Amino acid sequence: MAAWDLAISVEDLGPDAPPVTLSVASDLHVGGVILKLVEKTQIKRDWSDHALWWEQKQQWLLRTSWTLEKYGIHADARLLFMPQHKPVRLCLPSGITLRLLACFSNPVFQTVMGICRMLNIRRPEELSLLRPIEHKKKKKAKDLDEEIYDLTEVPLSSASRPCLYNGMPAHFADSSQMEAIYKMLSVTQPPPAPEVIAKQYRPASVVDKAHIHGRWLDSSRCLMQQGIQENDQIWLRFKFFAFYDIEPKYDVVRLTQLYEQARWAILLEDIDCTEEEMMLFGALQYHISKVSQSEPQMMSSSAAMDDLESALQSLEVKMEGESSTASEMLETMTAPDLNDYLKIFRPKRLTLKGYKQYWFKFQDTSISYFKSKEESIGEPIQKINLKGCEVAPDVNMAAQKFLIRLLIPAPEGMNEVYLRCENEQQYAQWMAACRLGSKGKTLADSSFQSEIQSIRSFLAMQKSSSSSHGNVPASDESINTHSLVSPRYHKKYKPKQLTPRILDAYQNVAQLSLTDAVMRFLQIWQALPDFGLSYVVVRFKGSRKDEVLGIAPNRLIRIDLGVGDVVKTWRYNNMKQWNVNWDIRQVAIEFEGNVNIAFSCVTADCKIVHEFIGGYIFMSTRSREKSDTLNEELFHKLTGGHEAL
Amino acid sequence: MQSGAALRKDNNKTRINTFEKMDDIDAMFSDLLGEMDLLTQSLGQETVPPASPPSTNKEVNFSIGFTDQNESLNELEDTDLDALMADLVADLNATEEKLAAEIQASSTGSSVSTPASSATSPIPPPQSSKPTKEEIEAQMKADKIKLALEKLKEAKVKKLVVKFLLNDGSAKTLMVDERQTVREVLDNLFEKTHCDCNVDWSLCETNHELQLERTFEDHENLVEPLLAWTRDSENKILFQERREKNEVFKNPQNFYLWKKDKKALKDIKDKDKELLVQENFCGTSIIVPDLEAVLHLKEDGKKSWKQRLFQLRASGIYYVPKGKTKSSRDLVCFVQFDNLNVYYGKDFKSKYKAPTDFCFVLKHPQIQKESQYIKYLCCDDARTMNLWVTGIRIAKYGVSLYENFKTSEKKAAVSSVWTNRSTPSSSNPSTPSPTIKAKSPNQANGHAPTPQPGPISADFGNIPPPPPPMAEILPPPPPDPAFPPPPSLPSKGSPKPSLPQRKLPTNFPPPPPSMDNLPPPPPPPPIDDAPPDFLPPPPPTSGFGSLPPPPPPMSSLPLPPPPASFGRMDQSLPPPPPDPEFLPPPPPEPVFTGGGGGPPPPPPPPPPPAAGGGGGFPRPALRPVGSVKKMPPAPPKRTTPSLQGGGGDGDLMSELMLAMNKKRGAH
Repeated sequence: MAAWDLAISVEDLGPDAPPVTLSVASDLHVGGVILKLVEKTQIKRDWSDHALWWEQKQQWLLRTSWTLEKYGIHADARLLFMPQHKPVRLCLPSGITLRLLACFSNPVFQTVMGICRMLNIRRPEELSLLRPIEHKKKKKAKDLDEEIYDLTEVPLSSASRPCLYNGMPAHFADSSQMEAIYKMLSVTQPPPAPEVIAKQYRPASVVDKAHIHGRWLDSSRCLMQQGIQENDQIWLRFKFFAFYDIEPKYDVVRLTQLYEQARWAILLEDIDCTEEEMMLFGALQYHISKVSQSEPQMMSSSAAMDDLESALQSLEVKMEGESSTASEMLETMTAPDLNDYLKIFRPKRLTLKGYKQYWFKFQDTSISYFKSKEESIGEPIQKINLKGCEVAPDVNMAAQKFLIRLLIPAPEGMNEVYLRCENEQQYAQWMAACRLGSKGKTLADSSFQSEIQSIRSFLAMQKSSSSSHGNVPASDESINTHSLVSPRYHKKYKPKQLTPRILDAYQNVAQLSLTDAVMRFLQIWQALPDFGLSYVVVRFKGSRKDEVLGIAPNRLIRIDLGVGDVVKTWRYNNMKQWNVNWDIRQVAIEFEGNVNIAFSCVTADCKIVHEFIGGYIFMSTRSREKSDTLNEELFHKLTGGHEAL
Repeated sequence: MQSGAALRKDNNKTRINTFEKMDDIDAMFSDLLGEMDLLTQSLGQETVPPASPPSTNKEVNFSIGFTDQNESLNELEDTDLDALMADLVADLNATEEKLAAEIQASSTGSSVSTPASSATSPIPPPQSSKPTKEEIEAQMKADKIKLALEKLKEAKVKKLVVKFLLNDGSAKTLMVDERQTVREVLDNLFEKTHCDCNVDWSLCETNHELQLERTFEDHENLVEPLLAWTRDSENKILFQERREKNEVFKNPQNFYLWKKDKKALKDIKDKDKELLVQENFCGTSIIVPDLEAVLHLKEDGKKSWKQRLFQLRASGIYYVPKGKTKSSRDLVCFVQFDNLNVYYGKDFKSKYKAPTDFCFVLKHPQIQKESQYIKYLCCDDARTMNLWVTGIRIAKYGVSLYENFKTSEKKAAVSSVWTNRSTPSSSNPSTPSPTIKAKSPNQANGHAPTPQPGPISADFGNIPPPPPPMAEILPPPPPDPAFPPPPSLPSKGSPKPSLPQRKLPTNFPPPPPSMDNLPPPPPPPPIDDAPPDFLPPPPPTSGFGSLPPPPPPMSSLPLPPPPASFGRMDQSLPPPPPDPEFLPPPPPEPVFTGGGGGPPPPPPPPPPPAAGGGGGFPRPALRPVGSVKKMPPAPPKRTTPSLQGGGGDGDLMSELMLAMNKKRGAH
């Protein structure tokens, strides 16, 4: 067979180096070409990650046993010899950027699997990559001081699951820097400064949200084919909102990043919620940041509990905590007392009596009061059981007003009672006691002290936010409450107006452990009506106007853009088949009962829609029995489109 | 029963006496214990109704529904008194058993056989363990303190005599203590009434003055809401079947797909119902039905009803303020559910001039009289009202509702006889042990059921062996050979209480000789006492007593077909649960899995004839690969006839997998 010249550019020689020319025959296989090429460059190094990229066809020549003829390569082919793994700047859901080696030659699905393996995120099929939102040019200055964590040194492993060391993949245990990176991955970030939230891009409408979903990369094609270059920025995000088998013990990074994504979705109003829900989200964020600061080891140590024994131990402790142990019972019986002079006011109709001072005694879940300390041995003037009551703060630091407002249920209705405390210290104690009492707990409860602490820190927040105007960098004790809510509420409320509202919501979550708080946050997020919806602007067949298709884990919804209402819901389990006509880029779906819909996609490629639907069906096929291995083939069959055939 | 209990008390005493020469505190505690024992014993012997329980410090005995104590006593019929008596005794026994068990569990490493040994031998259990003498002593001391505290606590427990009104106008009276859940009380009532135990049985609270009615949730404690009643209240507790309690699990489509037209909802397949329950109750988060409706509201003590557009969310009820959009951020919070219960209103049209009689009410459970803090809502029709009340319950109680349902379903399937009396929370896997233990000594000691007053003996004596509960609720056991008889005592070898170990048949045949050198080896006890984590009650020990010892027919049943065992064992039982209520056997058999329990819904109409080949699941269509137009991927092949005969009940995954395998094979 006749020999001909083949010119190949070798990336490692630099961009300006001339291509290396080889004399090849058409029956030479790709492996042979590479061998020849490497010999000719006379560079001694590990070439194992390198492969040939055919520029005109936008295709990798990965089958080394195929001949040039079989690939259809002739002398005019522009071939590039380069590594398959290249560094990218990967932006995590937490907003932190990592620099790491990503595979440019495999389908994005596998690239994501590789990244997740490196970062110790289970269930990589739920995540994907998307192109970042283009920033305006003025952002340059910010890019410079952006901290980038470098993970490019991590060796590429093919093991399906990295071996763990101290609860983290072994490559993170190499050095203290690496360990710091793992900590960054697995510990939630502190609340962002309000200005940072305000500066971020916020989708203002469903259509804006739809545009974001047009940025997803195609899972069945490789990064190279999608125009991603070395050192480009790409986002790693949870794409399919069907979170399977979350196990806090193994999913430290996954949970943390999921929380971060949820938190930002709330802060940037990517998902709508009510004001009450926003306050609860704020309270949880506050709590999570506080707990993760005070016990930063908790999450990683719980991850370290790999061996069964320690897991069992913790279980035991938990069980013991739940059942009544002797010591606990002893405590209950010798519960501490809380006694002090307080002022009480009962707003009854037509009475203008002010606050009167009495000697107060807190016992079990009740408050009793007496004329004076000396008379406290006898019968109290009144005894109020706080169980089931509502407790609300009424505090003004500047005016030194420390009121506890109690709504006490009685057969006739709710009785309003105000308790006035003299100072912060007294207030924190009695407020904490009232809160415990309202939940039917006594002062012996272990949470009493922490409750006092949290009340004090909220008071401190109010103090700092009322004295300065939020320009003080958030110290660890006080957080600007604007950091916890979306910008809408920055305008609506001042920090000190916000503080009591968040504190109010906080009392229901203050006892949660870090993991529980994160889980609670995710649960409330998932319970929002719009949770899990990815939007695409579409044009239904036969319709003249744009409408929005919402794709959820279990259903498709059709939203009328004019009204903003959901006009129609189709559930996947009624779906009989779906087709994509790739020529006219139209998606057609048939549901049971002879319901047929067809639409073309406006803000996203129809491949993205196709992948969403197929992907969710794939997610629903995962089940416990089917072991942990990811059925990649099935995913591609369901989402691949015509390339998969 | 009683003799068993007495024996137990002796044990306690022995233990106490052994350590009389300790320091003061010990002596004090011992005294205390002795006293309490005396008290309890006297309780057990006297026939006088225990008007006041052995409370040392506090008068806690109320009687609900009667104006004074005497009246209540007079009204109780003799049998009821006996029943109460028996309950009380059983109660005390159970507590003691539990105590003993706890002590042993904490003092010895292996608690496997101790409960049995404590029943048969007077040796204090801790001596069977090996630690040093000091340790033992320390442990003893701790145990005693614990015991004493436990007793003190016990004395403080509030108990109520509650009258439950039945549909036929009669009433049952039970003693309920404050730790008991509604579920446990229901179980007790099942025993007393011999009803069919279906999942609809409920306890309802009626408020006479406010004309309200509420079905208690099974996980709630019963005593607490009753304590909120006023002294002169005419409130009642009803024991009735309430369909709406578990309706959301039987017909979830009516709640989660309420917007669809009625016909579509009626035609929904069982498989789809199951999926809905899965989606909304088995995920990481409980999903509350997305309700929105214009309701009439009467609040703040006003007389008039005004209309508002309300929305239900997991976080509360909201309304859309006038002139605003329905967007979440504009919603105004109407109520959150932390301190509120939801009640049905009765006859509000005449009482409050409500637009319709389909009203529900939100109020703090303590409020018993008219108050501005009560919120009255009125719906256009019954369906809307049920939607909202159920939706609010889901938002308030979350996954507990589903757990309650599953527990009651299990209960319905097992049978009405084998109930846990007086045990704390039968749903908690670790707690049923006390009852188990309370019962096993009976057998272990070979006590024939002595004639005793009250339902305890009735349960054990009159009713032949309860049907083996496991047979229905467990997957068929693996073939016998896997378990060579004697060494495979599950209690020892396998600390993990995995369900399959409950294979009754395999355990019976050989009276295990290797059994922990207990002198008299009655077959069942060690198994019973073993890991307390078994959910279902133990094998019917009482049943064995009356059966020829090793029941060969049972052991030879390879797969226990429930009906067979039923037919044999179940003679004078209340109607056995209908088959469809058995829990699903492991292989996906659509016929079984669908029947959630209770009155089965009308059978789904036959599926449309081969409409979709495989039926109701999204199957990417397969087009010939070589067609002119490029087509999407199509894993499942359409060429083969659908697996389950076009019924649309094929499982999506298996279908897909099968098709894919075929395809792979074809290549």
